[in-house]
Amino acid sequence: MAHDYWRSLEERRGLVTPQLDPELARYIEDELPPATRRSFLKLMGASLGLAGLTSCRWPRELIVPFTKRPEGRTPGVPQQFATLMEHGGAALGLLVTSFDGRPVKVEGNPLHPSSLGGTHVWAQASILELYDPDRSRQLLHRGAVARREELLAFAEPHFAALRARRGAGLAVVAGESSSPTLVALRQRFETELPEAWWVADEPVSWRGQELASAAALGAPARWLLHLDRVRSLVVLDADILYAHPNAVRHVRDFAATRRGGDAQGRLWVAEAALSITGAAADHRLPVRPSRVGLVGLHLAREVAAQGVALPAELAALLAGELPPLEPAAQAFVRAAARDLVAHRGAGLVVAGPGHAAATHAALALNAALGNLGATLTLLPAPAARERSLGDLASALEAGQVETLLVLGANPVHTAPAALRIGERIGRVAASIHLGLRVDETARACTWHVPQAHFLESWGDGRGWDGTYGVQQPLIEPLHGGRSALELLSLLLDAAPASGHDLVRASFVRLHAPKDPETAWRLALRDGLVASSPAAMTPAWRSDPASLAAARERALEAAGDLEVVLVPDSRVWDGRFANNAWLQELPDPLSKLTWDNAVLLAPATAAALGVRHGDVVKLSLAGEVEAPVMVMPGQAPGTAVLPLGGGRTAAGQVGDGVGFNPAALLPAAGPPPLGGLRVSPTGRRHLLACTQDHHAIDRVGFRGRELRTPEIVREQNVGEVHESGHESAHADDAPIFRSPELTGRNQWAMAIDLSACIGCGVCAAACQAENNVAVVGKAQVARSREMAWIRIDRYFMGDEGNPRVSFAPVACQHCEKAPCEQVCPVAATIHNDEGLNQMVYNRCVGTRYCSNNCPFKVRRFNFFNYAKKVSHLRRMAFNPEVTVRSRGVMEKCTYCIQRIERAKIAAHNERRPIADGEIVPACAQACPAGAIVFGDLADPESRVARLHREGRAYVMLPELDIVQRTRYLARLRNPSPDVEEA
Amino acid sequence: MASEILDNTAEDPGRRSPLVLGGHTFATLTDTVCEVVERPTPRAWWVAFALSLALTGVFFAMLGYLVVTGIGVWGLNIPTAWAFDITNFVFWVGIGHAGTLISAILFLFRQKWRTAINRFAEGMTIFAVVCALVFPTIHTGRPWFDYWLMPIPNQMKMWPQFRSPLLWDVFAVSTYFTVSLLFWYVGMIPDLATLRDRAKTRLRKVLYGIFSLGWRGSGRQWHHYERVYLLLAALATPLVLSVHSVVSFDFAVSQLPGWHTTIFPPYFVAGAIFGGFAMVLTLLVPIRAWLGLHHIVTGRHLENMAKIVLATGMMVGYAYAMEFFIAWYSGNPYERFVFINRALGPYAWAYWTMIGCNVLAPQLFWFERARRNPLALWVVAMFVNVGMWFERFVIIVTSLTRDFLPSSWDYFRPTWVDLLTLAGSFGLFMTLLLLFIRFLPSFAMAEIKSVMPEAGLEHGDHRGHGQYWGEIPHQHDHQFEGGTS
Repeated sequence: MAHDYWRSLEERRGLVTPQLDPELARYIEDELPPATRRSFLKLMGASLGLAGLTSCRWPRELIVPFTKRPEGRTPGVPQQFATLMEHGGAALGLLVTSFDGRPVKVEGNPLHPSSLGGTHVWAQASILELYDPDRSRQLLHRGAVARREELLAFAEPHFAALRARRGAGLAVVAGESSSPTLVALRQRFETELPEAWWVADEPVSWRGQELASAAALGAPARWLLHLDRVRSLVVLDADILYAHPNAVRHVRDFAATRRGGDAQGRLWVAEAALSITGAAADHRLPVRPSRVGLVGLHLAREVAAQGVALPAELAALLAGELPPLEPAAQAFVRAAARDLVAHRGAGLVVAGPGHAAATHAALALNAALGNLGATLTLLPAPAARERSLGDLASALEAGQVETLLVLGANPVHTAPAALRIGERIGRVAASIHLGLRVDETARACTWHVPQAHFLESWGDGRGWDGTYGVQQPLIEPLHGGRSALELLSLLLDAAPASGHDLVRASFVRLHAPKDPETAWRLALRDGLVASSPAAMTPAWRSDPASLAAARERALEAAGDLEVVLVPDSRVWDGRFANNAWLQELPDPLSKLTWDNAVLLAPATAAALGVRHGDVVKLSLAGEVEAPVMVMPGQAPGTAVLPLGGGRTAAGQVGDGVGFNPAALLPAAGPPPLGGLRVSPTGRRHLLACTQDHHAIDRVGFRGRELRTPEIVREQNVGEVHESGHESAHADDAPIFRSPELTGRNQWAMAIDLSACIGCGVCAAACQAENNVAVVGKAQVARSREMAWIRIDRYFMGDEGNPRVSFAPVACQHCEKAPCEQVCPVAATIHNDEGLNQMVYNRCVGTRYCSNNCPFKVRRFNFFNYAKKVSHLRRMAFNPEVTVRSRGVMEKCTYCIQRIERAKIAAHNERRPIADGEIVPACAQACPAGAIVFGDLADPESRVARLHREGRAYVMLPELDIVQRTRYLARLRNPSPDVEEA
Repeated sequence: MASEILDNTAEDPGRRSPLVLGGHTFATLTDTVCEVVERPTPRAWWVAFALSLALTGVFFAMLGYLVVTGIGVWGLNIPTAWAFDITNFVFWVGIGHAGTLISAILFLFRQKWRTAINRFAEGMTIFAVVCALVFPTIHTGRPWFDYWLMPIPNQMKMWPQFRSPLLWDVFAVSTYFTVSLLFWYVGMIPDLATLRDRAKTRLRKVLYGIFSLGWRGSGRQWHHYERVYLLLAALATPLVLSVHSVVSFDFAVSQLPGWHTTIFPPYFVAGAIFGGFAMVLTLLVPIRAWLGLHHIVTGRHLENMAKIVLATGMMVGYAYAMEFFIAWYSGNPYERFVFINRALGPYAWAYWTMIGCNVLAPQLFWFERARRNPLALWVVAMFVNVGMWFERFVIIVTSLTRDFLPSSWDYFRPTWVDLLTLAGSFGLFMTLLLLFIRFLPSFAMAEIKSVMPEAGLEHGDHRGHGQYWGEIPHQHDHQFEGGTS
């Protein structure tokens, strides 16, 4: 008899096979490997360990039963822990909300100077990355699952042999990192393994700016901008407000100069691709990348012509004949120069990383105008010791690399296809890839090691300004991954250290505190140690040869149809391609989701004979097919190619989205890249945009033109407008009785369109906070995206160089809400605090409310979008917000869960709610601080004061629906020297 | 007998034309009408029924797919949260209006010619309202909770929200359906009794027996019957006006430009009568030919209906023009934009289809020859059917796709489910109609007899132009000599 124990006679006689409930059986199969006694004990030990170390705040690896509640911890009450995220070679301080040991929401660390509370979209979306079901879960050796022991059995002797050979034949590929621990390990790497190579792979990097500065300063310098002190800012092809490692801080500082008054600044942007920075400009000049250097030189010449002496070392820049600029560019340069001279010491010129000559000109101008030290601090940057991917490719080809270690990078995807990195890595005897996913590079390598996510592992990093911070894990690695630090330690040490020990050791080494334990704990609590490295004293030790070379390059003309490579606003270089939140987040300017496309100016597209949505074949060094998107504002004669598409091994979400411009690029060859050829294929591609889903007809165009100035109001600095929120029918008695607004607090919001740069972080934060569903490309194309807050983007004026306006639009919480009057089942109702509430479980889904909403901010669950969410992904849900089912309407709630949490806390402590205590997710994440939420019942609250401001208005005041969200008109500060077209 | 008169469309005020031609006696009339029900099922009926039933199958398959999967199977989006669903609803409710108008209002106005077509039109009303009711029921996101729209007492004291026009719709349409059904059924009782009396099979005897409610044709029964009929007519009359007014409130009460218009109630009622008569014509012209009922549904009947179509079509055209005028006159830029956008925007094709079908096509009825040509009648009526569907589509979709904020503008495209559901609703309608023609008296025998000369209710020049029930009570006893044979 097979069974020793039996439950019934039928079972014992074998008539009935005892069966588990199928769901349980599946669960057991999924969750538990075939159990041996050993593995059972291991698992139980691990579960206990997890239960005890949920936040992993405490490094002591003890198993502590919860007989005594840890201090400050209440089950169900979220806790926040400080950590940081590295992006583009600088760290952003974060506070991560954790529910019972489960991180669910990322916010900026208000103490951290890189953040001041704001974040970028990648930090907001990192939660989804953590719980991505496509993350690799197992060690792989040549594609087959391997055990850790097998890796160690291979690696330990192999690495020991390497150490004995002083690293000959070893190459490490890694992205840029600000981690002091990594820097220390790298120094050891360089001294102990002098023969080995360190290859940098950071496709979007500001290293170029640092290195270009070296030609003038003798040493690489990092530019630390103090935008809050700038009154005249000239930006030469540099997206400092979005695609910059310090963009979050830049936006905060920039916003401080956009609200009128004495602090009001003026922004001049000359750029190729329309960027967020360009959209924020008071004056913008579309210019081909190959001409940016020339614009910089002309600017320097114009300033010099006004009697400003440039540093002698850099005066050579202006020597000789400069090719003339077009009249429009000349006028722009002249006016900008005058503005800069008028604001000595409060001006700033910045050039992008690809423009050496423009950087030199900018340095010269900043020095000459007294901006250096005032609005610009130069920080020492590491010297260039790393090799490039081009070098690696040649070494691979020559067979000089026997061991390759890839730390989180994905060169197979990002390197120019002409380098044939993937194919060449395949020939290396031993290649180890550490990464979150089994990506393109992992598939080419012999070993793949799952990487621990930054929310799972110990680390450290420096902000752009050098502030030291600690990256502490929020959760035990879900899939048992390792960090890059740990893998490097395995390479360098006979006895590898844990990530925690490495980080703590470097903390002690760097700060040498008197009481290390207390200092360490304080650093963990705050997430940082206030410290800023000393600024460089600019000593002009220029290298005339490099300066002249850069100048020559700037004067060269590139062939027609120049390539402009820009990072994708959502998936960056492709590393976030498997993040559905980011894929569905509309690009701030094109409003494109789930794709990347060749952006062409209308004139360029017309000249090439291609239309919006055509699939074209692009050829340069290689060929790739890509859809065309006609976007105003791109410089004529350029094709803007956002990176990051065309992933083949990103995962379920990211595979096959968009195209990869790397396929076009030549093996070597710095930009500018001219001579791109575009040939139509005759096929069409569906581009899913969240705004302007279709080309507009003349009637719609005129209608839009007429009403837009009323909807998104703008005014020039100094103009006074009557506040526009009085109702047109103020004298009429209302037909419907307004709801009784008797609550103690009357919630309201103010959105400052002057501060808003349209970046979309608010939408990403809302998605994370409110469990907003992702619907996919087909549904977005049908206009069924679920975002509770959308950023309306309007173009005005000239097609070639439009002015851009943004307005974040979420539920306006009208006091006389049109939606409430038409709901037949009272599923949307008003509360006494002025909130328009949506009762999901009462909603039957007539959608009448949406029809009657003038702002169309209500979102309908056309399908059960939550059905296919995997178990792992469900961990990212905010437990305080209902996950909506099919057939119900939803919309912005002003983050009612946060309001209620604050109310409960205030009630328990018998105190009123303080102004600013409640911060909705959008307002919290906004780097500009453009969104202010608060209590109108308190006339001194920030929101009440903003509502009273002259710039305040409501959209569609004639409807007399008394919205609680008011906008503050956008201020523009045009230069009197420029005649408006 | 006035059997020599073959054309009763020429009106001589001195000598009125009879309403029933062909030298019918009570007995031959009864035979003619009952034969449709009693003869063996013709093959043509089976073919038509099989097609309709197949289409009905498609309809329910689409509804099933919808309920199982979600509203997303339709082409709706945000901003266009209503499109085919509500268009179809308003279209079908509108169709119903002709029936109630003929049976109630024309009854109260003593329009005796109505007797030939009222039963059929009432039946059409019921089936159209059945089709109409399906759409609001299944258009909700969670149709299994639709009962929340009913004011059902519950322990949570949770009532519907009475300010919502959708709720008024629930009351208006359900009242309308109930009254129409009662009216139709009560009117049918004497004829059901006739069928019962003529029935040959046991099953027919039992079923017609049950539904004729023991009708014996006694004077007392006739007296009660006529009173009830009159009262129901009086009850149904305001409903003709109220139902579509309430349906129009769905739009007029909202604040969407293009919906928020005070002209909507009369405009919708006129449109409903217009569309309803067109549908009656669409159905009666072929059925009359098929069943050979030229003597009962005479050219005069058709011509009268054509005149109503022309009149209501002009009203609708006036409303279209007035909407534009008011949009311009109001000075409201959003309102102006909506109408310019209707005529010249992306849905201009739908708008001009509507104008062509509803305003231009009926102009043909100014010509007598067109009014008397069944083919012309049928073709114009088909145009009006299409036009009236597009009228609702234009109102709903063009207004929603481009409302206040240009950022939310979009375009609506139906999916295959949308299209098949619309087609399927015609299947349901036709199935019910075919069953009605086959099993129930589709022409009101008792009423028609009252306007025949044999009824003896009128003399002299008005002979054969009958009087009405309710006018002179207790004078009809002798009219049933042939009626119940």
